[in-house]
Amino acid sequence: MRIAGKLLQYALVILVALTLNFALPKLAPGDPLSFAIGEALAQEMTPEARAKAMQEAGLDGTLLEQYGSFLKGALTLDLGHSTKLGEPVVDVLADRLPWTLRIVLPSLVLSALIAVALGAYAAWNRGRKRDLWLLGGILTMESMPGFWLGMILIAVFGVQLGWFPTYGAAPLFSAGGWSYAAAVLQRMVLPVATITLVSLGSYFLLTRSAMLDSLGQDYMMMAEAKGAGKRRRIWHALRNALLPVYTHMTMSLSMLVGGAVVVETVFSYPGIGSLLYESVLARDFPMMQGVFLLITLAVIAGNILADLTYPLVDPRVRSRRPREGTR
Amino acid sequence: MKLGTLGGTGRAGMMGRIGLFLLGAMILFALLGPLLIPHDPMERTGAPLAAPGDGHLLGTNDIGQDILAELAAGARVSLTIGLAGAAASMTIGVLVGVLAGYRGGWTDTLLMRAVDVSLTLPFLPLMILLGVFLGPSMSTQILVIAILMWAKVARELRSQILSIRTRGPVQSARAMGAGDGYILRKHILPMTLPLLIPQFIQAVTASILMESSLSFLGLGDPLAKSWGSILFYANARSAFLTDAWIWWVVPPGLCIVWTVLGCSFIGYWLEEKASPRLKSYAAPAERGARGWFRSRPSRTAASAAKAGETLRIDGLTVEYPKPDAQESVAALRGIELVVKPGEIVGIVGESGSGKTTLAAAIMQMLKHPAESAGSIRFAGEELTELSDRELRAIRGHRMALVPQAAMNALNPVWTVRKQLTEAITCHRKLSRAEMEKRIGTLLEQVGIESRCLQAYPHELSGGMKQRVVIAMALVNEPAFVIADEPTTGLDVLVQAEIVALLQRLQQQLGISMIFISHDLPVVKRIADRIVILERGAVVDEGDPEQLSRHSTHPYTRKLMDAIPSIGRLEQPLERPRPAQPTPSPEPLHAAAGR
Repeated sequence: MRIAGKLLQYALVILVALTLNFALPKLAPGDPLSFAIGEALAQEMTPEARAKAMQEAGLDGTLLEQYGSFLKGALTLDLGHSTKLGEPVVDVLADRLPWTLRIVLPSLVLSALIAVALGAYAAWNRGRKRDLWLLGGILTMESMPGFWLGMILIAVFGVQLGWFPTYGAAPLFSAGGWSYAAAVLQRMVLPVATITLVSLGSYFLLTRSAMLDSLGQDYMMMAEAKGAGKRRRIWHALRNALLPVYTHMTMSLSMLVGGAVVVETVFSYPGIGSLLYESVLARDFPMMQGVFLLITLAVIAGNILADLTYPLVDPRVRSRRPREGTR
Repeated sequence: MKLGTLGGTGRAGMMGRIGLFLLGAMILFALLGPLLIPHDPMERTGAPLAAPGDGHLLGTNDIGQDILAELAAGARVSLTIGLAGAAASMTIGVLVGVLAGYRGGWTDTLLMRAVDVSLTLPFLPLMILLGVFLGPSMSTQILVIAILMWAKVARELRSQILSIRTRGPVQSARAMGAGDGYILRKHILPMTLPLLIPQFIQAVTASILMESSLSFLGLGDPLAKSWGSILFYANARSAFLTDAWIWWVVPPGLCIVWTVLGCSFIGYWLEEKASPRLKSYAAPAERGARGWFRSRPSRTAASAAKAGETLRIDGLTVEYPKPDAQESVAALRGIELVVKPGEIVGIVGESGSGKTTLAAAIMQMLKHPAESAGSIRFAGEELTELSDRELRAIRGHRMALVPQAAMNALNPVWTVRKQLTEAITCHRKLSRAEMEKRIGTLLEQVGIESRCLQAYPHELSGGMKQRVVIAMALVNEPAFVIADEPTTGLDVLVQAEIVALLQRLQQQLGISMIFISHDLPVVKRIADRIVILERGAVVDEGDPEQLSRHSTHPYTRKLMDAIPSIGRLEQPLERPRPAQPTPSPEPLHAAAGR
């Protein structure tokens, strides 16, 4: 029942995302055809060509028919063509996604590791000076817009110090092999650092508050009464505090893909994010809608991942195993 | 209202004051800046990319506009959008939340479904998509912010209302026939208001950040200067490749950080104030170094423990200093107590009489900010003078605690086996075989089947958990055990079993025990000596027989006389009853009076 409810929920989200994609061009002021094939092209067409283009773009017929053919197209992964690049939206997405993952996944792991350690430390020292300094520092970090931090990092480490390249994901000319890999890695450093730093905050605050919650529980008193040392007791609390953090992590994978938009833009990193930005600048509507849909699917994938793996970390939601025969 | 009282005291209060200062200063800048700065932010008033200096305090951008003037104009735009966006999303969120939480039923189901969907949709791309289709303008930005943020507010508000709705005052108001409007106005609103304020602050923060992102992506109002749009131009023209980044890129970002940080600090402080959950833990002071936790020299230090006493407490006083005040609340005052080897001392008192504080004080596990004075000697050692390390070696090894609320004393994510073994490995190294053997004997002693070892705490019944906790306390064969209300939360039959188990184990192992309970009959049955605690002081003491028959202390008498004895029960209860079952004229009032 619970699983059915969840699946219904996810299906509903996808449907809403698709419907938004369908409805926005219709609701927005402007010519629907120019949303579909680009303004320049739509304006210089003869009426006959225009009618033909409308038909090809699925913009003829009643609203319901249009909706039906739109959904059908989406289910067969036909999301139209990019008006700027002329290629199918799906192909462009497939091309760009790996680059985004390359900077998002390391950021996810790094920020979670650092923030959990700091959050646990802060909670353990709650109310002391170091807790407040950490909290203040993290809140400051949290209040920085990612694009601004990226610009500052570029200015300092890229331009002033000249340590890292500031543009793109791979060198234009390369001998290939190791030097290429090194160049790619070097270009990952600043974007990864930026995303890591700006996403530290939410993990830190979550860990700290979950940890405070655990520290006030009765089992912590029992652990102390057992004579457990500091390390053991921190682990007692942290193991419990990790549960919400884990859920947050699986779910925020998609958040990061979305959140990488502005950071990728600053670094001209050729991922999904800067694709979205380029599409915005060029008013490439099919491409924008494709990115939105892709990120929605990523959110749902993250949710499903969380649902499936959560029982592995929390024994309380694991189904009761038969214990007979296990001695 | 003065800032001092508004900010409160303590470190969280300090953060609140800093936050109010940051935000207040920015509001002043937005209000007064454009009036005081002689340049028009939209006009070219200087050389392109002029460095900060005369006439242009923060220099100029690439077309010669004064940056300070731009920032001031941006402050107005950002704060306006922040407040308007927050207000709009709060309005929708509050309406939906109240409707869903208050009406319940299918309204609730439907609305919550919408909330879930809206929360799952990816935030930033949706924001961009909406921004593009609706066309860049300030009202678009506010609309987009409202569309994206109402759901979170609605969800939190709904859950708050759900919990308020089931509380006593609302229930009784409804029973007395109060209308919806009355209940909303008189009950729901006052109770949710303190929680709405932090949410509003959060919404402002998020709105300001969203505005800057939208503007940075070129989706802001093209005619208005905002911090985000300044950065949009700076980025588009690669300001960070020149020296101009210091005055062109850094200040707008700092303005955003300044404002958002101000809001976050205020939000943190409000949350800390409103949420009692977060008050449950505070880091204990480190022992030794800090003077105020270290016990003052005990006044009865001269009375060295006599040989053969397991525990001797002299003049133990524990106080909790009240925040904001010089005085403090005394939880224990001048306790004197001796436990001899093999003796069970029962400690009886109402809740709040200091029983649990006494247990914590003996274990040296008092919660911050308790201050204690006096002497606690365990087997001749002065516990108050030991280091953390020395104490750890005693706790759970020579002196063990069966804590109150044993229902939750086991860590929910670990198996019983892991937690039992941990209790051993905290103190000694055993080989695998020895460990198995020790655990095996122990399980037999407390009456648990060995297959329970694989179980997680939630798979065990209350009585089983209590047995596991007792096993954990006894695993290192301590000489002295404190059992703090070991039967709380268990049903009557299981209570009797647990008490019998403790009594049997105590006799078998010859341990000394303090048995804390509010249940005098139980204590009377197993204790060798009873100590009566009232409001933190020992008011009476003696063996059970003596106390129940000869005590003249009024409190003891009250407790003793409250025990129904079999002899007394045989007499008919002389309560006046109505002669015949006449219906009571006002049944509701009678019920309410009880």
